[in-house]
Amino acid sequence: MLFNSLSFALFLPVVFVLYWFVAGKSLKYQNVLLLCASYFFYACWDWRFLFLLVFSTLLDYVTGIKMSGAGSAKARKFWFWLSVIVNLGFLGVFKYFNFFAASMAIAMANIGLHVNPWTLKVILPVGISFYTFHGLSYVIDIYKNRIKAERNFIDYSLFVSFFPLLVAGPIERATHLLPQVKKVRTFDYYMAADGLRQILWGLFKKAVIADQCSEFANVIFANSSGYTGSTLVLGALFFTFQIYCDFSGYSDMALGIARLFGIDLLRNFAFPYFSRDIAEFWRRWHISLSSWFRDYLYIPLGGSKGGTWTKVRNTFIIFLVSGFWHGANWTFITWGLLNALYIMPLIIFNKNRVNLQIVAQGRALPSLWEFFQILLTFSLTVFAWIFFRATSMSHAFSYIGRIFSKSLFTVPQFDASRVMVFETVILIIVFIIIEWSGRESQYAIASLARFKRKSYRYAFYFSLILMIYLFMGREQQFIYFQF
Amino acid sequence: MLAVIILVPNYIINKKSRFVISNKSKIVLFGHSHPECAFNDTLINSLKNLSHSAEPYFYTYQKVKMVLLQNPQIETVLIEFTNNQIDAKMDEWTWGYKYMSSMFPKYTPFMDRADIGLLVKNNPKDFMNCLSVSTRTNLTRLLTSNYEFTNVIGGYLRINNSQTNSTADSSTTPPIKITTERLSFVNLHYLQKIIVYCAVRGKRVFLVRSPQHRSYEYLKNEDEFLRIRQKMFSSVEFLDFNKFPIADDGFADFGHLNYKGASKFSNWFNIMLNSGLLNTDKKQFLINQGISAVIANDKTVSLALQSFAAHQLDFRLSYAKARTY
Repeated sequence: MLFNSLSFALFLPVVFVLYWFVAGKSLKYQNVLLLCASYFFYACWDWRFLFLLVFSTLLDYVTGIKMSGAGSAKARKFWFWLSVIVNLGFLGVFKYFNFFAASMAIAMANIGLHVNPWTLKVILPVGISFYTFHGLSYVIDIYKNRIKAERNFIDYSLFVSFFPLLVAGPIERATHLLPQVKKVRTFDYYMAADGLRQILWGLFKKAVIADQCSEFANVIFANSSGYTGSTLVLGALFFTFQIYCDFSGYSDMALGIARLFGIDLLRNFAFPYFSRDIAEFWRRWHISLSSWFRDYLYIPLGGSKGGTWTKVRNTFIIFLVSGFWHGANWTFITWGLLNALYIMPLIIFNKNRVNLQIVAQGRALPSLWEFFQILLTFSLTVFAWIFFRATSMSHAFSYIGRIFSKSLFTVPQFDASRVMVFETVILIIVFIIIEWSGRESQYAIASLARFKRKSYRYAFYFSLILMIYLFMGREQQFIYFQF
Repeated sequence: MLAVIILVPNYIINKKSRFVISNKSKIVLFGHSHPECAFNDTLINSLKNLSHSAEPYFYTYQKVKMVLLQNPQIETVLIEFTNNQIDAKMDEWTWGYKYMSSMFPKYTPFMDRADIGLLVKNNPKDFMNCLSVSTRTNLTRLLTSNYEFTNVIGGYLRINNSQTNSTADSSTTPPIKITTERLSFVNLHYLQKIIVYCAVRGKRVFLVRSPQHRSYEYLKNEDEFLRIRQKMFSSVEFLDFNKFPIADDGFADFGHLNYKGASKFSNWFNIMLNSGLLNTDKKQFLINQGISAVIANDKTVSLALQSFAAHQLDFRLSYAKARTY
């Protein structure tokens, strides 16, 4: 059930009505309803994996309580590692086993030993990386005495399985979401209206920009050996906008939907393509994952306290893990390491926290220098996305090889209607303008709430709905569902 | 408001659309790419080829309604009925995204609720996108005041090249056996609707089968095809040109004639029409005779055709004489 599907358009209003008008007077009923709705939502993908989700939830719930009540540090450690190993074990089996088996076989073949890798024919359970990280953060926080174990199983399960964030995040923290789950929630018109606005913007990003771009990006990446360098650059650009609008569009919808139920989720994107350096980009891209790695990996490894070498080592580790988290493929690992290389000069020269403010804050346009910085950062990002999108390392290298050829200076041409390509380019430009003008808000059109004249607001909403309807691309699965 | 944006252009286009063809065209031909490539209507008197590639009967039905409504001079409707049109593959042609996204926007204004319902039921996921493309197409038509459909609903398609020789050579290995395990009941249902619609408007209807190469994969379902034809369409006369002799270099591929093949077939068909093919009682008998004449004189087709025309005259005279007795 995709957020931009007809089935979800039926599911959401039903849950909304039941939540506020039937279960609205009791927090317990509200939470039970949301949990049932979340499990139903998840079962719509594949009901078999619901057992895995429930097991994972139960494991962390029990180990959390056991850790809290453990009489000795040893027992505490035992329950902690049990949870970590089982959680990562599931992730390893479902997501990484085949990758390791195949890589091992290749490595053996390189030294002359030919083995047939024993691979598992398993489907990756949707959202496993996300809910595993939810659970891990909860267990680590208890182990580090940051929070107390949750005793109410319904509340804890809802924290892990709340349907807006279940399959593609944002990756929540118990410290942020659990208190909201336990607090009485009353209907707040302004919050719900803001939620709807954010859903609308997310839908525009996903249905119009991402889905349109995906059609062209897919064609170009699939047939890259037959296209000119300029066409391949265009393909990389289309993918750059596709992945941003796909994922941030999903996050906007998730945040907006949660707000309909009176719950605030963590912000996941903050206009990353307007970043002036790669460090700023990573503070603005998939924020919930970046901060997870910062808090649960980078800082425990020593963070930036141990001098330049430690910082460099830790940065490489988190980018390596981040790449690997995205998928069991060398392309993702290379993408992660490439970003580590990009950020390295800033780390070494201690310039990684220079651009903390919003670009051109209070101004309509950036300075020439800022514009150049944005363009450079954007170009580096586009280049890195080629590895992310390529099907294999050889595909990525051949794609890049063809870009840097004489054909780079030709007019791009590929199998698509010119009118449609032109339409998409215009829509991207409109999208960039709206994002730029709203970059000081939580999301691009949040500031519309400040418009006093209702007519302007409604005219804008209607235009947006019309654009979504008229220019929606073919419904595509969200990219991050595969992670 | 959205409903207005969808429905109003549909209504206006439905009312203002133009499907008008030449007054001289008394016979129209509908179908998919096989007749589209086989019947060169510049060589056939009074016939207008309105076939279109990858068009299942669902969309043909919409076209037939409008063409017959706006062209009262049409007397006869020929509809291609061939082996692949009974196959479940036609369902994909009807509501599969690739086909629906190109066909549906063109014919939305002429569809009724049952037609729309069929698409929604079978492919709700892609329907919304196709509806969106359709609205865009309609709005563009409105803005440019372009209500002309005649140039987009089909016509003879000329293909110059031939790939049959190379593919025929490579097909020495046994071909994959294609049998029609599943029928496209929707396609067959809409063929029935077309036939009924034509009958209601007082038009003569014939099913035709264009020439196909002997290696054409769907010929494997011939028994099933003939059974369906007998069972569902026995009341409609069937003109079978499947075995019309065309050399390999007259085919673009196993299912389609190229320009050379189409010229040979169309010239012959023109003579057949002029010889009164559609007015005789034993149409298939005449067709087979005509095919035999071509086979017998294949080296000099024009002579064969002339002799066939003379033969037809003799035949009709003797046939008339026999009836008198």
